Amino acid sequence: MRVSVFSSIAVFSIFAAGVLAFAAIAFAGVSEGKGIFDSKNCGGCHQIQGPAKEKTIEDMLTKKAPELWYAGSKFRKEFLEKWLKDPKPIRPMEFYSLTKKNGANHAKLDAKAAKDVSDYLMSLKSSDVKAANIQPKSGPQGRVVFEKKQGCYGCHEVKKGAGVVGGLTGPTLVGAGDRLNPDWIYAYLTNPKVFKPVKDMPVYTGALSDSELKNLAEFVAGLK
Amino acid sequence: MIRKTLIAVAALSAFLALSRMSDAQAAAAEANYKFYCAQCHGLEGKGDGPNATKSQPVSPRNHTNTVEMSKLSDQDIINVIKGGGAATSKSTMMPPFGKTLTDAEVAALKDYLRKLCKCKGN
Ligand code: HEC
Ligand code: HEC
Ligand code: HEC
Repeated sequence: MRVSVFSSIAVFSIFAAGVLAFAAIAFAGVSEGKGIFDSKNCGGCHQIQGPAKEKTIEDMLTKKAPELWYAGSKFRKEFLEKWLKDPKPIRPMEFYSLTKKNGANHAKLDAKAAKDVSDYLMSLKSSDVKAANIQPKSGPQGRVVFEKKQGCYGCHEVKKGAGVVGGLTGPTLVGAGDRLNPDWIYAYLTNPKVFKPVKDMPVYTGALSDSELKNLAEFVAGLK
Repeated sequence: MIRKTLIAVAALSAFLALSRMSDAQAAAAEANYKFYCAQCHGLEGKGDGPNATKSQPVSPRNHTNTVEMSKLSDQDIINVIKGGGAATSKSTMMPPFGKTLTDAEVAALKDYLRKLCKCKGN
């Protein structure tokens, strides 16, 4: 009896130590990542503190880069780490420009820094992204809203056959499924003002039903 | 006499305030057009914004085309801005802005389009 109490305490302590050590490692990534983010002046272009403050078109047009204050809710961790090492244009045009193409000149990080910074960015969550259990789907339900009922590809590139079709002012949706958290896509479509009070994409909440928005989120989450 | 002058001054300043408001509205309409519409319709409204790529199924309307734009009534224009292409039996590649812009902003955009096309609706 005594022995077994003793051994379960021992097992528990080993377990607790493991959890603590694990948490410490994860936390080290976050705080080192924040250090790198600050020292590279990433915050000179990116907003990292919520909530969204922009009220007018002017406010939006003076921004230099997309907000990152909800990055941990928006992105898939694997995508972030990979992208920071080897950033490829996401928006075909320069940020909010109608005339200049994306210069493909984003700051690049080495492998260790990319891991730490992605740990840090993944710690920036928004409580407005609820677990909605959106699962990637490529069936006709979402496609019909995306292509027919609305023309989402009017401003977004998507794959069609062997090529890419669509407009250029929105972020490309080629590879959206690898990049974005499905629950964030749904939150973005149903509650856009929390993330982007002013943006050049129309608000679809109210123009489409909740089940259509859900189908759309599933469809976008399934885009390769 | 003084009284009449005062009334005239008051009326004049009320008039100036009103016309200044519509100047502000026109400026806001232009800013809205350049932000929301120009991405497809072009900064000058010629239907040549960056989204008017070759792969699109229909081209955005050229808003400076007097003949085409004359075919639309003021109400048609308002309906198509708010409800998208479906509202005038056109392509849904024209998106709905009814949940993005206020009714006053849509009405001001309609006036802005009338200036671009130099036309009136039938
Ligand atoms: C000169 C301004 C500038 C600086 C400095 C900068 N970025 Fe960016 N960043 C941008 C722009 C512009 C984009 C959009 C690029 C695109 O769409 O291809 C972007 C995109 C991103 C994205 C994707 C965001 C999204 O919503 O698609 C991440 C993540 C990111 N940057 C992280 C960083 C990190 C980490 C640093 C510091 C090492 C950094 N950025 C420094 C301008 C900047
Ligand atoms: C008029 C152009 C336009 C149309 C039409 C449009 N979008 Fe967008 N969309 C944008 C722009 C611009 C952004 C980026 C806004 C920002 O981050 O400032 C965006 C962002 C997005 C994002 C987030 C992507 C990211 O990486 O940040 C998703 C998801 C999205 N749109 C889905 C859709 C869907 C689904 C539809 C159809 C119902 C649609 N869009 C229609 C212009 C458009
Ligand atoms: C995603 C691209 C896109 C955006 C953004 C857009 N339009 Fe359009 N618009 C179109 C297309 C494409 C057509 C042509 C539809 C057709 O001919 O079937 C069109 C047609 C129109 C028409 C003519 C409708 C008719 O019945 O002939 C008007 C008016 C119009 N747009 C106004 C606007 C205004 C105002 C805005 C900004 C609030 C705007 N559009 C934003 C793509 C767009």
